[in-house]
Amino acid sequence: MIAGPGPRSRSSRIPQWVALGVLALFLAGAPSVVDSFTLSQILTKALWLGIAAASLIFLSSYGGMISLGQTGIYAVAGFTMANLVHAEGGKNLGWDPVAATAAGIVVATAFGLLCGAIASRSYGIYFLMITLAISVIVFYFFAQVTTLSGYGGIRSVTPPAVIGNPVLNPLPLYYTALVASILVYVGIRYLARTPFGIALQGIRDDPARMQALGYNVALHRALAFGVGAFIASIAGILSVWYTTQVSPGGVNVAQTINILIIAVVGGLYRLEGAWIGALVFSLIDNYSRVWLPNVGDWLGPERFETVIGVIFLVIVLASPGGLVGIWESVWARRNRAMRGPVEGSGTVADVVDEAVEPHAVQSRR
Amino acid sequence: MLRPERNVGFLRLLATAVLGLLAVAACNSTTPSTTTTSTVIKIGILSDCLGDFGSFFNDDLGGALAVLAAHYGGKASGPLPKDGMTGAVIAGKQINIVGFGCSDSTASKAIEETRRLVEQLGADIMIGPLSGDEGIAVANYAKTNQPNKTFLNGISGAQDATLKVQAPNFFRFNPDGAQWSSGLGAYAYNKLGWRTAAVIGDDYAFPYTSLAGFIAEFCAVGGNVTQRVWPPLGTTDYSSFVAQLNPTTYDGLFVGVGGAGLITFLKQYQQVNGSLKTQHIMGNTFWPDPQLLHAIGTPMVGAVAASGIAADDTSAQTTAYKNELAIYPATQKDAASVFTLGYWSAMTALGLALTAVNGDISGNQKALQTQLAKTVVDGPYGKISLDSNRQAVFDNWIVQITAPATSGGDPGIHTILRIPNVDQTFGGFFSPTTPAPDRTNPTCTKKTPPPWVGNEVPVTFGP
Repeated sequence: MIAGPGPRSRSSRIPQWVALGVLALFLAGAPSVVDSFTLSQILTKALWLGIAAASLIFLSSYGGMISLGQTGIYAVAGFTMANLVHAEGGKNLGWDPVAATAAGIVVATAFGLLCGAIASRSYGIYFLMITLAISVIVFYFFAQVTTLSGYGGIRSVTPPAVIGNPVLNPLPLYYTALVASILVYVGIRYLARTPFGIALQGIRDDPARMQALGYNVALHRALAFGVGAFIASIAGILSVWYTTQVSPGGVNVAQTINILIIAVVGGLYRLEGAWIGALVFSLIDNYSRVWLPNVGDWLGPERFETVIGVIFLVIVLASPGGLVGIWESVWARRNRAMRGPVEGSGTVADVVDEAVEPHAVQSRR
Repeated sequence: MLRPERNVGFLRLLATAVLGLLAVAACNSTTPSTTTTSTVIKIGILSDCLGDFGSFFNDDLGGALAVLAAHYGGKASGPLPKDGMTGAVIAGKQINIVGFGCSDSTASKAIEETRRLVEQLGADIMIGPLSGDEGIAVANYAKTNQPNKTFLNGISGAQDATLKVQAPNFFRFNPDGAQWSSGLGAYAYNKLGWRTAAVIGDDYAFPYTSLAGFIAEFCAVGGNVTQRVWPPLGTTDYSSFVAQLNPTTYDGLFVGVGGAGLITFLKQYQQVNGSLKTQHIMGNTFWPDPQLLHAIGTPMVGAVAASGIAADDTSAQTTAYKNELAIYPATQKDAASVFTLGYWSAMTALGLALTAVNGDISGNQKALQTQLAKTVVDGPYGKISLDSNRQAVFDNWIVQITAPATSGGDPGIHTILRIPNVDQTFGGFFSPTTPAPDRTNPTCTKKTPPPWVGNEVPVTFGP
């Protein structure tokens, strides 16, 4: 059942805006808190990885589609853009970076719609396999068509003038990624409340009933996949600016799995989980190589994958809703304790249902 | 009724963001100072600890650290190279190994790890990386973003990293993939009498380059490559590719398939064409591998292959090299590893150059970089100098597979030829404007043969 937003008074929104304002201040002020390395290698990375994971979480939480194709799609955006602008190793066509960025996003979105059309009639494990195949095909395509991927990648990709050199001055790219993240977050929240979004959530919950009601299920799913591709393509463009290069090795199956891990660790059914998972992933990725003590051959900086794997396992076992899910259950328990067992007209079940949003309920089925 | 729970989404977001930022700030506060005092030189070493080459992590680090232990008073902090090293002093300057970069053979991770070592941990000088794509990316990073730091390649072998990127502060004291195949084209044409050849290799960058070395030389001396077959990387059944190869249509087959696939390919090739005719087949640097010799056995006896290492060399130079590596028993057993040799060569060159400039890394390290460009490493398997693109000119080796010493044993390896002064351009065949090696490049054209053709030196090591 799709729950609509509850009635709200103007006064109930004030804490929301205060909270948002504080968050905005924190994010905007981050550059003065951390050094440029951390700003670039942790925060900017977390923001673009978060957008990539958000495209996956959008599909899973609102469309019920867990896609492994997002890496392949953002690779298409990245390679398209990198080939069009001045760079070493690619086509080096010398386009204006802004036009090339738009072209990259358009091509990747079109590619996503095509993939969506192919995959839209499959569900569950079959959908997973088709989308995995998309990523693998894209990886091998760029690994083998060296005229499009350069020899070992396209390097020194020219970003728009406003970005500058992200290694020497990471600030513009950080704010670009931040604005893009906010737009993606707000955009998805908005889309979820449109008739299309509501229909999509209906299809997620019961495709057969929606079909019976006259909705074109396959079309809705394909379009949603296209939206996911659009979001992923933004991540693809940002990733190229971030590393100043794009190579087939960076969009391999391991990266496909990384995006899934980020989404699951953050929370596969909560949009915020994308960026939280990405931040945790970036922190562990960077600092596990510094902090992990050497214990013979068992432990050491080379065990990043083991660490992230263990965390993944613990999260999946302890909280299928990811880190956000843990927070939600703590919050729900707190509310229950504060309200007492029965208060006014609300039951305990009501309180719990209020605390978690509909797609979180969906995740528990 | 008001529903304050509705604020949970925003509060949740806020709380996690605050926690995240606090975590970042906490991590940040532990960041060591990046200032360089005049008495300390900070070195970062980058290799792969994940991905296809992750298992060589300690071999790589050990190659570099063994030099510090043997010549500059370094003390190992533990039994494994990754445990670190302290106490090394070069020209009166303390050598501080700030950290080990841990990449996964992708360019993006290599850049991230290089940035961590340089920008976060403050390395003045970098040694690494390991694989081809990584090398190109790091050379670009060095050229564009860190012109005032010095980068020495680990063991990455992509031609472009030096031939095309030409970063003035990126030095490679190891050969590229094509150089490792030098000597074989002329050997096939002149000694084995091949006039036409087919080549087969995995469909990705390193085999393209490795086979390019054979094709360039074989075609330059007058041979013709009639067929190029590229099985996808990760192929486990080569039957359809074996079927494409008809030995009656060529004089010889050059095999550049690598890893576990090589054993499968050679077995399937024999099932279709009978026991290997070793006058009509040869291999690249993947061939002198004990696992392969064990798996295929005596049918390989007599075949020749290229090797960057003369493993049977017992000269004082080679023995000294092996003794240096003895500090790490884990890498000693792999003394024949090209990975170890690449990192050893880089640190040896750095030690020599730093000593020559008296440890001076002031003035944006220009004195050190000028010195490195003219440094000659007297390596265990020959001298290594640099060309004008700061790319190694070295001696390659041709090895022949010999009969097992005992019946039922594995075949051995005998070094037969030294290919002197192999340069990256193959005497002008490759240049900054030639297309990078791929499925169809280089094209097969007769040219002036590389300078080493006709100057190969027959050698005999051991009994």
